[in-house]
Order: sequence, then structure tokens, then C-alpha cells
Amino acid sequence: MSSKINKVWLISFGLLITAIVVLNNLVRGDWGDLTGGFANLVKFWNTELWPPRWSLIFEAQSEPPNCRVEIGFFCSKAYTGMLETLKMAFVATIFGFIGAIALSPFAAKNLVPNYILVPTRLFLALTRSLPSIIWAIIFVIVVGIGPLAGVLAMILYTIGYIGKLQYEEIEGINREPLEAARAMGLRHNEIVSKVVIPESGNTFLSQLLFMFEYNVRHGTVLGLVGAGGIGLHIDRAMELGNYNDVMSYLIVIFVVIIMIDFLSLFVRSFVTDEAELGSKSLISVLLPASITQRNKKQ
Amino acid sequence: MAKPIIRIRNLTVGYNFPLLDRINLEIQPGEIVAIVGISGLGKTTLLRTIAGVIPKLSGQIVGDIRARGGIGYIPQRLGLVRHASVYHNVELGARCGVKVRTDSGNLLDWSKRKSVVIRDCVAQVGLSDKIDEPIRRLSGGQQRRVATARTIAQKPQLILADEFLSELDKENADSIISLMKNYVNENQCAMLLVEHHIERAEQIADRIIDLSEFEIKSPAEA
Repeated sequence: MSSKINKVWLISFGLLITAIVVLNNLVRGDWGDLTGGFANLVKFWNTELWPPRWSLIFEAQSEPPNCRVEIGFFCSKAYTGMLETLKMAFVATIFGFIGAIALSPFAAKNLVPNYILVPTRLFLALTRSLPSIIWAIIFVIVVGIGPLAGVLAMILYTIGYIGKLQYEEIEGINREPLEAARAMGLRHNEIVSKVVIPESGNTFLSQLLFMFEYNVRHGTVLGLVGAGGIGLHIDRAMELGNYNDVMSYLIVIFVVIIMIDFLSLFVRSFVTDEAELGSKSLISVLLPASITQRNKKQ
Repeated sequence: MAKPIIRIRNLTVGYNFPLLDRINLEIQPGEIVAIVGISGLGKTTLLRTIAGVIPKLSGQIVGDIRARGGIGYIPQRLGLVRHASVYHNVELGARCGVKVRTDSGNLLDWSKRKSVVIRDCVAQVGLSDKIDEPIRRLSGGQQRRVATARTIAQKPQLILADEFLSELDKENADSIISLMKNYVNENQCAMLLVEHHIERAEQIADRIIDLSEFEIKSPAEA
């Protein structure tokens, strides 16, 4: 047992040393750029980033012109930009997920023969091989600057990314329900809808929530190439050197990501096996099931 | 003599290498045949081959069982959809139940009738109160009952069951055996099952076949 642990430590240590050697090779032995880097960061933080321009978050701006809500926050640049990013991420996640779920059963080797599997996997790999920001640049050229380019880019990337996760999940499901369904004579579409999706439903839901969070984070980056959302505001602020404005937008993004993370944890707590054992209090969402169940027994 | 439900001629089964060679077998309507033999012999492989899940190496499987719903297959671990309800699992059988489908009129009729068939099958195995429960919350014995209900709802011509009586206490095993025997008899279908316990095999089957004689022995064993 202890020799096994020693071996694991030895391999881990070996990997760490290898990574340091490779890094040294990458920077060609010149670590000088790191010297004083932290001091530069502190200086940049004090002079350029902090304090953020709170008015961007809490005060109504001229955009959008028809904002009728009396509360300034709901008419602020940060809120409207973030809302647009959220809308983009939502639409892209839903369409991308539908696309992925339609394709992934044709990419799983326990469901289809190679002549169907290979082209489907190639298509999924193609959509995944370009980062969404490159897709966004392509779609900005095709449909022009704005949220549509961002949405299309995220849809394609979502199909490729979720599609791969889904077919790997499908390949991992127990073979016996599939064999029983095949022997009974169920058709491919029936096997997918009646066996595969119910068996993998919980994982698919987790993937959906993960991808929504991923698309929100990525949606902020896509704005940098003119694909709409809060990223567009960040891009403009950076061009003008208004880093206080950038900081304001980053705070909003951070808060929204945290909120989505909580929402995702909460929703997933309804579909996990542990959740069936008790009610879904906030504490049970935050803490591992092993701890909450132990408390319940006591 | 009635036409056999299935006729197997010189069947060789295995994966990349043969496990059982030149099997000949006929099963008549209303007959239950049990296959016995030591572990690792290829009993499950034979069942999977007849079920059409894996290809045969050589030989013939003759019978009108290849049509949709012709074969009801209960694998060793039952092949139930764990995250779905009892109703959903039994519906899988009813969905491809040939006889029920041809009786039905339009889609609305079928959907109503299907629900009645499913509830009736679930009631026959005594799980009406668990019909909306997900499979993973049921005990091993209850899960075996669900697999039985799924097969009954399907009304197949040939039932293939792989050690589906194992892990059952005597009471549960007796009730499932009695249900299956009645079912096969009333519907004049056939059943081929793999069973480890010879006493249970004798209790349920009309005929017992020891597969050891078809085993392909390595040169050292021969």
C-alpha cells in the first residue's frame, strides 16, 4: 500500500519537475519579466482599476434610450450589457444543446456503426476545433457586428463541446438496457428517447447548466470582437483606456457568474440521488451530501 | 406437431473465438427450456446471439421471431432503465408489443389502450403501488418483477431470460415462476432461460439442456 502511494508521489513530483523544465524552456531561461511584476500590478490596481466607476452599475445611462424603469440600475450600461450577454448565452445554450442532443446519438459507438459515427464525430470535432472567439470573428464578417454573430458562434461551439460530452456519456451507459431494447425491436429513435436520454438525463442536465455558465463567461469575451453583450462595452472602455469602467463591468460579471453557479448547484440538487433523501435547503446545496446526510441521521 | 417457435441448426456462438459449437435446438409453442452448465461455458453468449445482440459465428436460427417485438429479452442484470419509472420501463415492452399494436385502431385508441395494458401488467406482478417509482428505488426482487411485467406487456413469441430468478427468495421466485408458466401456456409462446440452480430449472422448465456437450475444449482438455 505504502509503496503504491510512494509511486504516486514520485510520478506527481516527476510531472511537476517536467512542467518547470518545459516552462523554463518556453521562456528561454529568461525569468526577468516576472521581476517586479507584482509591484506593477499593485500600481496598476491603485491608479487605473480602483475605484471602479459605480455610476456605470447604479445609474441610468443614455443607452438604452427607451428604458422606462424608474430604478437606475435597470437602465445602467453594465446591467443592460450583462442582460444582453445572458440572453445570448441562454439562446446559444438552448439551440446548441438541441443540436448536440440530435447529433450525439449518431456519434456513440454503442448506438451506430462506424460509417455513421465517423462523419458525425468529424463534424463535432470541426465545430469544436475553432474557439468560439474565432467563430465570432467569422460570423461578424458574415452577419455584421452585434449579438447575432455572438449567438451563432456560441451555438456552433456548444454543439461541438456538448456533443462530445454527450456521446462519451452515452458510450458509458450500461449495455444491458440497450441490448434489451434492441432485442425487443425498438428503433434507433425510440432507443435514444426511451432508454438513452432517461439513463443519461441527470448528466445531460449538469452539462446544460455547465454550458450556460461557460457561455455567459465566453459571451463577455466575444464582445471584444464586436459580437455584442457586455464585452462590447469592455472593448470600448479598453480602447479609450478607461480601466475604471472595465473594473465596473468585471464586478458585474463576477457577481452574475457566482449567482449562476449557485443556481446550477441548486437545480442539480433536485436530480441527484442524494437529493431524494431529504429536503433541499440552501445548506444541503452548498455542502457535500455526505455531511448533510450525517447531520440528518444525528 | 405444431410449428416450432424457433429452430436452431448447427449454431456456433462466441466472440472472436467460438465458445459453443454446433448447437441444435427446437422449442415448441408453450414450451419452457432451461439451459444449465458451468460458469464461463457460453450460456449468456448463446442467449445474446439468439436475441440478435451479437452476431452468430455460423449456423442458422430459423423462426418468425425477428419481427419487431418477437423476442423478449431479460438480461442478467435485467436491462431496466434505472432512472425511469416502473411505468416507463413496462411501456418499453408495450411499445413494441406486436399483438396489442395490430389490435389498436387510431393513435388515440392505442395510447389509451397502452396505458390499460401497462397498468394491467404491473398489477399482475403486484407492483401497482410502485408504478410511478423510479427503478433505482426498488429492491432486487421488485426489479425482477418489473422486468417480468415488461416482457408480459410486450407479448413476445420467444422469451429469453438470463438467470433472472437468481437473488430471489423462494416466495418471490415461486410467484414469478408461476406467473411465467401460466403466461407461456396461455399465450402459446416459448421461453428459453439460463438457470444456475438445477432445482429451480426443474421447477420452471419442461426440458433441461446441459450445454457442456457443446463446449469447445482446448487441446489440453480434450
